[in-house]
Amino acid sequence: MNQELLMIQEEALRELETVSNEDELNKLSAAVLGRGGKLTAILRTMGKLSPDERAALGQAANAVKQELSDRIEQRRAELIESADRQRIEREAIDVTAPGVRRAVPMGALNPLTQVYREIRDALIGLGFTTFSGPEVEYDEYNFTLLNLPPNHPARDMQDTFYVNDKVLLRTHTSPCEARALQTIKPPFRLVIPGRCFRVDEPDASHSPIFMQIEGLVVDRNVTLADLKGTIDSFVKAVFGENVQSRLRPSYFPFTEPSAEVDISCAICGGKGCSSCKGTGWMEIMGCGVTNPHEIENCGYDPREWKAFAWGVGVDRVACLKYGISDIRLIYEGDGRFLSQFK
Amino acid sequence: MKLPLKWLKEYVDFDVTPEEFAERMLLRGFEVAEIIPEMEGISNVYVCEITAIEPHPNADKLRVCAVDIGAEEPLQIVTNAANVKVGDQVPVATDGATLHGGLKIAPTKMRGVYSAGMFCGNEELGITNIDYDNAENGGVLVFNEPHPNGQRVQEALDLDDCIFDIELTPNRPDCQSIVGICREAAAALGQRFNEPVIRRVEGYGDCTDVAQVTVKNPTLCPRYCARVVTDLNIEPSPKWMQRKLKAVGLRPINNIVDITNLVLVEYGHPMHAFDLACVADSHIVVRNAEEGERVFTLDGKERAMTADMLLIADPTKGVGIAGVMGGLNSEITPDTRATLFESAVFRPENIRSTARKLRHVTDSAARFIKGVEPVNAEKALLRAIELVDDLHAGRVMGGMIDVCSADIDEKLVRASVKHINSILNTELSAETMAELLGSINIEAVPTGDVLNIRVPHYRTDIEDSIETDWDIAEEIGRLYGYTNIGPTLMRGDTFRGRISPAFRDEDLIKDTMVALGCLELYNYNFISPAEIELLRIPEGDERRKTVKLLNPFGEDQSLMRTELAGGLIRVACLNLNRKTGFGRFFEVGNVHFDNADLPEERKHLGVIHFGSEESFFTLKGTLEALFEKLGIDNVRFERGGSEYLHPTQKAVIRVNGEVLGEIGAVHPSVRRDYGLNTEAFIAELDVERLCAHRIRVRKYAPLPKYPTVPRDIAIIVDEATEAQQVIDVILAAKVKVTVENVRLFDVYRPARPGDKGIPEGKKSMAFSYTLRSDERTLTDEDITQAFNAILKALRFRLGAELRA
Repeated sequence: MNQELLMIQEEALRELETVSNEDELNKLSAAVLGRGGKLTAILRTMGKLSPDERAALGQAANAVKQELSDRIEQRRAELIESADRQRIEREAIDVTAPGVRRAVPMGALNPLTQVYREIRDALIGLGFTTFSGPEVEYDEYNFTLLNLPPNHPARDMQDTFYVNDKVLLRTHTSPCEARALQTIKPPFRLVIPGRCFRVDEPDASHSPIFMQIEGLVVDRNVTLADLKGTIDSFVKAVFGENVQSRLRPSYFPFTEPSAEVDISCAICGGKGCSSCKGTGWMEIMGCGVTNPHEIENCGYDPREWKAFAWGVGVDRVACLKYGISDIRLIYEGDGRFLSQFK
Repeated sequence: MKLPLKWLKEYVDFDVTPEEFAERMLLRGFEVAEIIPEMEGISNVYVCEITAIEPHPNADKLRVCAVDIGAEEPLQIVTNAANVKVGDQVPVATDGATLHGGLKIAPTKMRGVYSAGMFCGNEELGITNIDYDNAENGGVLVFNEPHPNGQRVQEALDLDDCIFDIELTPNRPDCQSIVGICREAAAALGQRFNEPVIRRVEGYGDCTDVAQVTVKNPTLCPRYCARVVTDLNIEPSPKWMQRKLKAVGLRPINNIVDITNLVLVEYGHPMHAFDLACVADSHIVVRNAEEGERVFTLDGKERAMTADMLLIADPTKGVGIAGVMGGLNSEITPDTRATLFESAVFRPENIRSTARKLRHVTDSAARFIKGVEPVNAEKALLRAIELVDDLHAGRVMGGMIDVCSADIDEKLVRASVKHINSILNTELSAETMAELLGSINIEAVPTGDVLNIRVPHYRTDIEDSIETDWDIAEEIGRLYGYTNIGPTLMRGDTFRGRISPAFRDEDLIKDTMVALGCLELYNYNFISPAEIELLRIPEGDERRKTVKLLNPFGEDQSLMRTELAGGLIRVACLNLNRKTGFGRFFEVGNVHFDNADLPEERKHLGVIHFGSEESFFTLKGTLEALFEKLGIDNVRFERGGSEYLHPTQKAVIRVNGEVLGEIGAVHPSVRRDYGLNTEAFIAELDVERLCAHRIRVRKYAPLPKYPTVPRDIAIIVDEATEAQQVIDVILAAKVKVTVENVRLFDVYRPARPGDKGIPEGKKSMAFSYTLRSDERTLTDEDITQAFNAILKALRFRLGAELRA
C-alpha cells in the first residue's frame, strides 16, 4: 500500500511540472485529491485493514495528501504569477500615444460641493473671501485659543480623534478663526470650508467625517443683528426666498452671545411635520458673537475689534435641501446616488 | 435634566400647554428634547367594571368576563387572572392599546372564545407599589377606589403627569436642578420665582465636638461642609419621596440615601452619607490617594487609585473616592446609628480625570464635572438636614463642620449699557435691562451707563473679567428675545469678496471632471494599515509615513490616507458589485504625511475609469482635456509609476520637467486582492503643484499670414519605439520652415510577421504635421525639404524606415 502511495505522489509531482495553466492544475488536483481521486480511492480500501495497519496507512496517506496539496497551491501561485507576467508583457502599450476622448454622459458634483458653492457664492456677494486651514490641527488652535482650555467640560461636546496629546483631527472649522486672526489684519470677512472629524459612529444622521463652512467677520462695529442678517441672506440663497430663519439662545465656548439657527422646515414649510417633529423648524447650525477671550487670545483688544462667526454643517444642509435620508450615501460613492445631482 | 410637570407646579402656576411651555423654554436657550408621559408607552387602557364571569368552555384556567367600559355594549374579555370577581374595577387594554415594553393589544380568540382585549396587572402597566397601593398583587390590578368606567387608566391611577426632558448647555450647571430650572421656567411663564426657604434645624449639641474634617488639598477641595445625625431610624422613605425619585429615574433605597438623592435632584448638589461608626476617630481626611491605594466602592468593585486622585479617608483607610463614589466600608446599612452628611466642592477637572481613569462616571461625578459651587453646598446640606427632621429619620446635631478656602463672597460686577446695546444692536434702557435681569433673580442697579450687578452665587458662568459685558449681553439678549432683534446687513467699510486662486482652481478641476463624465466622491480619510500592503507600497516610500490615530473606531480605520487610489478602487468594487453601470469617478481630497510636527497636508486629484469601454487611453484623454482646460502645456507621459499599477501600462506625468502625478491600469494582482473583476485605470495628481503650472492668462498669438500645409508621414520602427520619441525627433529635425501639430494618427502591427512588408519586431506608425512660414507661402521645395529632413532625422535617430 505504501508503495502505491509513493507512486501516486511521484506521478502527481511529475505531472505537476508539466501543467501549464490553472485549468489543467484543477484537473490534476481533482484526479488525485478529489472525491473520485486516486488518493481517496486508496483511503476507501482501508476498511479491510487491521487497526494498526489502518493507522499507519492513514498517517502516510495524510502526509502525501498534505505534501501534494501544498505543492499544488505552490504551483498555482507560480502559474498565476507567470500568467500575470505574460499578460503584462502582452498588454504592453505605448503610454505616450495620444489619449482617446469618449463621448460620455455628464458627470455630477457631489451634493456637498454644490451646497458649499451656493453658501460660499452667497457670501462672496456680501464681501467674504475664502480661507482655509489644516485638517490635522493643533489642540491649541482647535480648543485652547477658542476659550476651551484643557479639561474644559465643553470639550466633551465634541468627541475628538487624537494623533497625540498636541495634535488632533479638527472637530470643527473654527481653528481657522484663530489662524485667520493671527495672519490677516482686520477688518475681514471670511468663508472657510473644510472637512471636520468627530468620534461619531456612522448612522443615518451621523458621519465621523463631515464638511463644515465657517463664517467669520471681524470688524470694529459688528453686532448680533448683523449676524442675523448675514445668516438670513445665505439661508435664503440656499433654500429659497420663502424660507425663514430664527436665532435662539445656546452656548458655545467660543461665542457669546451664542445661538442656534433654525430654518422653517424645508419639508412642510413650517406647518409642522414628522421631519421637524411638528415644530415647523429645523436646526441647521450654531453661531454667535465671538467670545472676547478668543479675540484676546489671538492678540486683539475685544473692546476695539468685534467679531461674529458660525459653523454650518454642509452635510446637514445638503440632506435637508435634497431630502437625503441617510448621510452615509454622500460618502459611499454609489453612482446611482451621485448621478442624481447633475 | 428631567423636570416633572407636577414638581414644576409646586413652584409656579402653570397655565399653558406643555407644548407652549416647551417653545417658550426653547427661545430662552433650554431645549425640551422630549415631553414624556408619566406612564410612558401606555395607551388605550381604561377603567372597566366586571359585570359577569362565566367559565371558559374549553379551558379550566380561563374565564370569560363581561365588562362595562362606559360604552353602550359590554366588552367580552377572556382572562386567566384568578384574583378578579364580579364588581371589581380593573384596567383593560382595548383594541390598539400599547403596554409597557411595547406590547400591542388586538382582539383575538383564546381557545376558541373571542376576547376584545386584556386585563392589565402592574407589570403590563409598568408600575409598582410606589406608584399605586397594592399594585403588585401578583394578578390583575384592582382599583382601590371607585372610578367612572371608561376613564383613562392614567387618570385613575393619578399617573397622568408629563415629564420635560430638557437639554442643558454646559454653561448652566445651576439648571441641573429642579430649583434652578424652575427659576428659569417661572421667568419663561412670566412669573416671579419664589426660592423655597429652607427651615433651619438647630439640633442638639454641636457636631464639631464629635467629628472633625481635615482637608489636606484645599485646591482640589475648596469647601467641605458636614453635619451629623444620630439615633438614626433607617427605613424606606415615604411614598411621596419615592414617587418623586422614581419620576426622575432614580431608585429609592432607604430614607437617608433617598434624602441625599432628592437633594441632588432639587439643588443639583451631590452629597454623601457616611456611617459615622465606620469612620475611625470620626475624622474625615480629604487627601490625595497613595499611588496604587485600593478602595472598595459601593458597587462592590475594588478600585486602584493613582496619586492625582482625591480620596476621602479617615486616619486609617479610604472611605470613598471624592466626588465619584462612596466606600463600601462606610455605607449606610439598616444598622447604621449615626451618619455624617458630606456636602463638598471638588474641582471639575480633577473629578473628570478621576472618573475617566476609573471608567466610571457616576451621577455624582457628572455633576461635579459640570461644576458645583460652594454656597449651594451649604444650602444642600441644610436642605438634607431639614428633610431628616421632617421625616423623623434621626436626631440632628447642632453646628456645622465647614472647611472652606473658597471665595463665597457675593460677586459684584459692572456692565456697560451702551456696550451691551452695541453688541446686540438694541436700544434698551438701563432700567429695561435691570428689569429683564430681575426676572431671573439677578439684581441690577443702573447708575448712568453702568449696571451694577449682584451676581447670584449659582451663576458661575457670569465672570468678573473682560467677558462681563458679553455675559450680561447674552442674558439680556436671551431674556429680551433674539427674535425681537431685527436682522441688519453689515455697515461700515465695504469689502471686495473674492474666491482665492486655490479655491478657483479646485472649482475648475471639478467642473471639468464633471464635463468629462466623472461623478464626484468624498471618500473617508481613514484607511486600514492593510491598504498600504494591498497597494504594494514599498518600504521607505513616503506613503508609508501615515498619520496614526490614537483612538480610531478600529484598526481598519486607524490611519489617515496618504493616497486616494485605495478609496477609488473600493468605490469601483462597490459600483461593480451593485451593477450601478457607472464607471467614471473622481475626488479632490487631502492626504497627510507624518513628516513634521503638524503633518504635511497635500491636496490630490484622484480619477478612476473602469469597465469594458475604458482603457489607459480613455483616462489619458480625460487628463489631456483637463490639462487643456487648466492651461497646462508641456505635459509628458513617461513610463513609470507606483507598484500597484500595471508594469507595462503606467506612466508618470511630467509638467515642465516636474513629476506631478501618475496614471496607469491597476495591476492585475492588486485587482485580484481587492476583488475587482474588471480593468480599472487610475490617475492621481498633486493639485497645488499642478496648478502652479497653469497659464492663467494666455497671450494672443497672431494668426498665420500664409497658409499652413498639412502633411503625413508613415514609418516603420522598432516595436519599442514610443510616439513621443518620434514627435521629439520630428520637432527637432533641421527643417527650414515651422513644423507644428505633430500627431500620431495610426499604428499598425501586422497580423503575421512580414505582412505588408513589416518585419518581425517592427510596427508602422503614421503621423500628421503641419508646415508654415511667417514670411511666405510655402513652395514645393520647402515641403520636400521638410519631409526629407524629417525622414533623415527619423532614420538617423530611430532607425526608422519610410513605409512604402
